[in-house]
Amino acid sequence: MQASRARLFKEFKEVQRERSADPDIQLVCDDSNIFKWTALIKGPSETPYEGGVFQLAFAVPEQYPLQPPQVRFLTKIFHPNVHFKTGEICLDILKNAWSPAWTLQSVCRAIIALMAHPEPDSPLNCDSGNLLRSGDVRGYQSMARMYTRLAAMPKKG
Amino acid sequence: MQNEEQALEDGKFEAVTSPVSAFDVWANFGDDNTMQEESVVQAEEGKKVPFVGDKEPLSTLAAEYESGSPILLEKIKVLDKQYSAIRRTRGDGNCFFRSFMFSYLEHILQCQDLAEVERIKMNVEECRKTLQKLGYPDLTFEDFFALFLEQLEDVIQGKETSLSHDELVFRSRDQSISDYVVMFFRFVTSGEIQKRSEFFEPFILGLTNSTVEQFCKSSVEPMGEESDHVHIIALSDALGIPIRVMYLDRSSCDTGGVSVNHHDFIPAAGDLPRTSCGSEASSPFITLLYRPGHYDILYPK
Repeated sequence: MQASRARLFKEFKEVQRERSADPDIQLVCDDSNIFKWTALIKGPSETPYEGGVFQLAFAVPEQYPLQPPQVRFLTKIFHPNVHFKTGEICLDILKNAWSPAWTLQSVCRAIIALMAHPEPDSPLNCDSGNLLRSGDVRGYQSMARMYTRLAAMPKKG
Repeated sequence: MQNEEQALEDGKFEAVTSPVSAFDVWANFGDDNTMQEESVVQAEEGKKVPFVGDKEPLSTLAAEYESGSPILLEKIKVLDKQYSAIRRTRGDGNCFFRSFMFSYLEHILQCQDLAEVERIKMNVEECRKTLQKLGYPDLTFEDFFALFLEQLEDVIQGKETSLSHDELVFRSRDQSISDYVVMFFRFVTSGEIQKRSEFFEPFILGLTNSTVEQFCKSSVEPMGEESDHVHIIALSDALGIPIRVMYLDRSSCDTGGVSVNHHDFIPAAGDLPRTSCGSEASSPFITLLYRPGHYDILYPK
């Protein structure tokens, strides 16, 4: 508990210091609870998520950093490796490939990389995964783009 | 090209994916459940064997194989001539690192070899620089380094914080300390492999189909990933500590008499620990017993 708090505090200071280094990631710690964080990440360019801003919620366990943070999308997203209803993310580093060499910031980078490079063979969103696996890239992209517009962009007017 | 292939398979594809409900069940069965179950399994395993067990006479090893392979029983007899005791570690994928941790700290505690403490501290500082050069932010590894150095200081006697042997056993069973030291060794191992990636690359290609960096990310740094020769060579080299591994497996030799294979991992660097404390010059003071998939600690007679 003490160790995880100390580590998170270091990450917090690092995030403050390096704020400009990663313009695509804005990681914010809850005012009253260092185990709760949110992040805003920009959809990577040349993907159907481009132009969207996606919110992530982090719940950090007491055994952090020996155990991974739990991360999910709060913003609706159509992606093979993100559960459409819960926002849960299927990413190896958030499970068995986790190690303390990762930080909350680098997890955000990994999630951005996952957005750009979906893994349709381990889908949490089967509709999205099936479109890609059947080769319907256009179908996948138009669905993903539609949800980016509906959920991840400021509403016009 | 991929599209063509997929298009050809389209007919088949629909048939495969039609039972959507089964997928829905999977989707509801989240990763959290899987990880919770894993930790339940680990907790149950933990009740059986602590991270580091008590020292047991070698006869308990023979008892384990009473009705087992005659080759193994013969080999245990051979081991019995050289070794008096075994200390088991938990089979949680960290057993090599955990065995090494206890064996090394116990050696320092018993020998009070201050020159060796100074020597390893210099190597630890080298490992720190290696990780920094590889681009690891200090905050990711410094807590693990600090905790190892603290254990090292605490086994030196004559201070208020000095540990007794019982306290060392106790700490090695305390997850918050034990896992941090294991993680320290994992960082050291990963740094050494990446620093000398040209040397390690052929070994790694023989094990998996991944790059050196991928191997370190997926098979060295995560807790619970089992150790192979590559890990042992790297850790032994990085810290400059020789390790002997006795192999208790079913392999038999053609020459007739049963012998137990062993391998000494001797660090490449020249600054080996001086062998005070009774052991013969140049022979490793850490001896591990390997049975396929698991490491325990052995005590010579």
